[in-house]
Amino acid sequence: MEKIKLIIDGKEIEAEKGTTILRCAKDNGIEIPTLCYHENVALYGACGICTVEAEGMPKLLRACSQKVQEGMVIHTDSERVKKSRKIALELLMSDHTGDCLGPCRLNCPAGTDCQGYIKLIAEGKFREAVELIKEKLPLPASIGRVCPHPCETACRRQMVEEPISIAYLKAFAADKDLEENTFLPEIGGNTGKKVAIIGGGPAGLTAAYFLRIKGHSVTIFDAMPQMGGMLRYGIPEYRLPKKVLDKEIALIESLGIEMKNNVKIGKDISFGQLRNDFDAVVVAIGAWNSLSVRCKGDNLDGVMGGIDFLQKVALKENIEIGKKVAVVGGGNTAMDAARTARRLGAEEVYVIYRRTKNEMPAEEIEIEEAEEEGIIFKFLTNPDEITGNNGKVNGIKLQVMELGEPDSSGRRSPVAVEGKFENIEVDSVIMAIGQKVNVAGFEDIELNSKGIISADERTFRTNIENVFAVGDATNRGASIAIAAIGEAEKASKVIDGYLLGMEIPYRKPFVSEKEVTPEMFAEKEKLPRAKMPVRSVEERIKSFDEVNLGFREEDAVREASRCLECGCHDYKECKLIEYANWYDIHPERFKGEKNVHETERKLVSIERNNEKCILCSLCVRTCDEVVKKGILGLVGRGFRTTIKPEFEGNEILNFCKECGKCAEVCPTGALKIL
Amino acid sequence: MSNCNCPKSDLTLLEDVLGKYKNIPGSLITILQKAQEIYGYLPTDVIYHIAKETNTTPAKVLGVATFYTQFRFKPVGKYLIMLCQGTACHVNGSEMIEKTIKEELGISDGETTDDGLFTLKNVACLGCCSLSPVMMINEETYGSLTPEKVRKILSELKEAE
Amino acid sequence: MKIAVGQGSCGIAAGSMKVYNELEKFLEDKSSLTITGCIGMCFLEPVVDIYDDEDKLHRLVKVKPEDCELIARAVKENNFSLIENITISREDEEFLEKQTRIALRNCGKINPEIIDDYIKNGGYEAIKKVLAGMSPEDVIEEIKVSGLAGRGGAGFPTWFKWNAARNSKGEEKYLICNADEGDPGAFMDRAIIESDPHTLIEGMLIGAYAIGAKECIVYVRAEYPLAIIRLENAIKQAEEKGFIGKNILGTDFTCTFRIKAGAGAFVCGEETALIESLEGERGMPRLKPPFPAEAGYWLKPSNINNVETFANVAWIILNSGEKFSTMGTENSKGTKVFALTGKIRRGGLVEIPMGKTLRDVIFDIGGGIKNNGKFKAVQLGGPSGGCIPEEYLDTVIDYKELSATGAIMGSGGMVVMDENTCMVNMAKFFLDFTTKESCGKCVHCRIGTKRMYEILERIVSGNGKEGDIELLEELCMGIKDGALCGLGQTAPNPVLTTIKYFRDEYVAHITDKRCPAKECTALLKYTINEDKCVGCSLCSKKCPVNAISGEIKKHFTIDTEKCIKCGQCQSVCRFGAVEIN
Repeated sequence: MEKIKLIIDGKEIEAEKGTTILRCAKDNGIEIPTLCYHENVALYGACGICTVEAEGMPKLLRACSQKVQEGMVIHTDSERVKKSRKIALELLMSDHTGDCLGPCRLNCPAGTDCQGYIKLIAEGKFREAVELIKEKLPLPASIGRVCPHPCETACRRQMVEEPISIAYLKAFAADKDLEENTFLPEIGGNTGKKVAIIGGGPAGLTAAYFLRIKGHSVTIFDAMPQMGGMLRYGIPEYRLPKKVLDKEIALIESLGIEMKNNVKIGKDISFGQLRNDFDAVVVAIGAWNSLSVRCKGDNLDGVMGGIDFLQKVALKENIEIGKKVAVVGGGNTAMDAARTARRLGAEEVYVIYRRTKNEMPAEEIEIEEAEEEGIIFKFLTNPDEITGNNGKVNGIKLQVMELGEPDSSGRRSPVAVEGKFENIEVDSVIMAIGQKVNVAGFEDIELNSKGIISADERTFRTNIENVFAVGDATNRGASIAIAAIGEAEKASKVIDGYLLGMEIPYRKPFVSEKEVTPEMFAEKEKLPRAKMPVRSVEERIKSFDEVNLGFREEDAVREASRCLECGCHDYKECKLIEYANWYDIHPERFKGEKNVHETERKLVSIERNNEKCILCSLCVRTCDEVVKKGILGLVGRGFRTTIKPEFEGNEILNFCKECGKCAEVCPTGALKIL
Repeated sequence: MSNCNCPKSDLTLLEDVLGKYKNIPGSLITILQKAQEIYGYLPTDVIYHIAKETNTTPAKVLGVATFYTQFRFKPVGKYLIMLCQGTACHVNGSEMIEKTIKEELGISDGETTDDGLFTLKNVACLGCCSLSPVMMINEETYGSLTPEKVRKILSELKEAE
Repeated sequence: MKIAVGQGSCGIAAGSMKVYNELEKFLEDKSSLTITGCIGMCFLEPVVDIYDDEDKLHRLVKVKPEDCELIARAVKENNFSLIENITISREDEEFLEKQTRIALRNCGKINPEIIDDYIKNGGYEAIKKVLAGMSPEDVIEEIKVSGLAGRGGAGFPTWFKWNAARNSKGEEKYLICNADEGDPGAFMDRAIIESDPHTLIEGMLIGAYAIGAKECIVYVRAEYPLAIIRLENAIKQAEEKGFIGKNILGTDFTCTFRIKAGAGAFVCGEETALIESLEGERGMPRLKPPFPAEAGYWLKPSNINNVETFANVAWIILNSGEKFSTMGTENSKGTKVFALTGKIRRGGLVEIPMGKTLRDVIFDIGGGIKNNGKFKAVQLGGPSGGCIPEEYLDTVIDYKELSATGAIMGSGGMVVMDENTCMVNMAKFFLDFTTKESCGKCVHCRIGTKRMYEILERIVSGNGKEGDIELLEELCMGIKDGALCGLGQTAPNPVLTTIKYFRDEYVAHITDKRCPAKECTALLKYTINEDKCVGCSLCSKKCPVNAISGEIKKHFTIDTEKCIKCGQCQSVCRFGAVEIN
């Protein structure tokens, strides 16, 4: 065979005459993307993704069909080529309807594959479920109990009746896994790099877990007596038994992570020292100081911060709160404080909140259980003055509020009703209105205007070369544990890259999302959400035993099978989304009419979703040319073209071999083998 | 056609056409054109029959039939109004003509009046550009149309019924 | 005496069949009555040509059936002054006099249904000459010398294609005529087949001989029933005379003909799509390479030319390629036929040597704008072409020069527009066309043209956004680069040229929500001029949505909230009081 010489992307290549550019590039390790080419079927040329530029040729060439020529100088990644591919992908995506990922996963700050593990739970594969969860989150038993579960907020099942109980299912699977045959990840070969992690809370533990898996040696330094951070010192026992947390931390430690407690930076060891001793330092110190409502009397004995209160309880310190307690705030910490106060023996516990129940940031179940436990809610009130006697709290004067105009966030802001006050007698006041970061010992780190550590949102870098920061201590300040975990997991990838000498900033992947309406689920059978069995109120208020009793296995499996499986089965293999992320596409520019199709199952063992079809016609050609059946055909033309098996009744059974070859070649998730 | 829920067309009418063309490769479009001449449109059972006789699959036959605008899958009205969509017609006001037809008959492109009398079809340039705007009703071409002229033509056809 | 009634499709549509029937009724010597094809003076249809006994031509125009009795009398009395009022004017005669007709040389002169008419006019002499002593190479050389290029649009040198097909290995080769004239606004191919089918047959025979094909196929679009009938008839007659079939004119040359009727798909004008359609498939373009010259119809070497290209071939053989090449410019030789339509005074078929200007065609031959309107733009090349503004009217007709404007020569559709034509709407019109005609195979054309259409649609309906022009431009470039076939690659041209030359109009729609041509309904505002309104209330009675109110004999006003901009008030007002802003 005659040989010719050409250059592809600056590389001199010898190729056989008659080879296509695509083939030739592939043989030389250069991947040219294509969606409609397959070696088993004839050339087609529809997708236009494989275009390349050849010097001296005015038009772009389709690499799948263009044969190499002597002396060709080809660029497979020039600006013009990239632009062309980008537009092609944007156009394709503008008529592609489907969810790459379920709303649960998209709304999870850590991007845990909820749909994936829910399905495994439904199949009774609990260990596999945990394995999947732990790709993103190393503390599922703990987080499953305490997470305010944005996944459930987004869950589409609520368009049918109620969301899937994703968080508790996670805790269920993780508990199962902790019982026996516990999953442990494989640890990569030793890289010789050392990472110090400051703070052993959810963020620090997560960063440690993933960096250790990559083969780095990891040490966690923590100022408290035990690891766990806010999970241990901010969340009461009745929500998260420390036994559970201990087990999960022990597992993480068992990976070979060194854990050093009672180490305070700037006191026991200097920050500079750590930076010198370790290749990278991760600051995950959280936000441990309580904010206070500044009012008269806030310095009286008996006034304390919510976080401080919970911490003291966790440390089993002796605290006097009296019989009547006012908790100021409407978040989960306020609920935790109020319910803890109740368990400590307080008879009257008030929650003072400026807005109404509807605006409360605390979770509904927390509010509900607090109400059950006899907590008294004083909505539309705000502390005006804390009164005292002999320097000790004896009451609180409340300003009565009303809701005014909505603010920029859409929440109606509370306004004082002039001259209207209310007084209640209390023995102590707990201020649970927010947390702030304590950066003592980290003086070199640059802070933002709010006094919070400033870290790049894509590289997690601080102003100091080898120092990274994640979690509550950074940028926007305190948030929920899963958000800190998500940051830590993303940061671990960046830090791993950094340690190996690469800069790989985090980039939010592009995903296709479908707009849905409740009408689309009108036909779905209503299956109520599994209710978590709980301890009786009487029992609850007497002890710190866990309120939730946990799902029974059959309930968990049944609950998991309610999942609508919104995300695409093909996400991991989908070439369309892979390429979309190569070229940073913005299909919303071309937003327009989309073809609407019903998902159909005419092909017996194959489900066809034409809304995801990109008309590469590989299925049609494979059925024609490889299987030699010709069951599928293109119907109509232009924008309305679709692919259909056009058969009546049971005719299809006589034709379709159910070989599944069509689904195998589909570059997207339009075809699914059932 | 075992359990097919389609119309029962007289398939014997196709015998001559199939006899003549089915063994000539590449004749599918011709066969479909002849079939449409016979039945006025392409009923589902006819498509199936053609697929069977030409040794291909219904998916393929339908694929070809739906590609070309000439083929219809529903019976058309007694009067098929083909409204030219050419450039000259556009420049000379075919949009007004279409609007007038819609107003008069209450049908849009591709639709048939309830009485089965008229079908409106927008077609590619009829090549009578000097007479634009133009429409054809069955075999007859009407040129230099104005809304008034269209109303008159349509009412005359209606009255003739 | 010969009386020939022009019976092309346009003539028939204008009523020439009725004229023929009436003449047959009144004429004494019915044998003198005959038909002819289309002379190309569409604006004067129906046309009746009377050749008197001295063979002098009396051309009657816009003939009505009621004129026929008088015509018969004039013929009988040999007194043509009787019908002077329907005789063509001196001015209108110039329409033909200023043309140079090669491809159209017999159109409107001979009876297309009678082969002898063609033969009498030198028909089939060229094939005789070829078969008598020219080798296929000689033929290709002659075509090469002539400089003939594809008249279907691309302007690719004909000899080159013939040569490639000739040199392709294979016993079986095909010569295909693309008569799928799909460009809206072009109808010269239809006119040639209807008026002079043998010219096409002869040209194709010569081409078949040159490339070594034994089978000729004419792919005619379904919308041309008369052309199909006339061509079928012509093939039959040519077979009877021995011009088609085995051992043509006693030589070894054997060639058969057949017609394949298209079924309505513009994309089949693209040669590989046409081949797919000939094979009975969906007309979706194939990837090139391989080119049809190597692997075309049934993957055999095939050559495809359009009707007008073939119509020049016999003339070139008889008159020499050199003579043909003396006409035209450096890059473009010979003549080109244009279908002149739109807001033009004298519309019809115009054949002129390359090298003339657009102004020559539109003003000198076409007589300028209808109803004394003002010229705004001319659209060349249909959906693949572009709109050229007044400042480029002196552009020379030449493949290269026209491409430089952003338009293309195309198949010769020339649609003239006046100031009442909105250029954004025009672009939308073409994109509507392309979207409907896109085969749907490649992404850029299937979705890209749809998105362009949607953006244009929102602009003309008053919902255009800042940045839309730039977005359109970006999309245009993307589609040009990425589309699979010529239809897709050229689909952005109408948008690009209108943006290039009429950007202001786009801006007016987007920023000012105003349509300068007053064509885009959504952007119009109807008002009643107080000074002109006499309060007759006619408009208010006619208004279908009761948007007009007022007191009789005082003036009326339009509630713009209610107004649906149907324009009925304006059409009924006798005082011109309804104004559009």
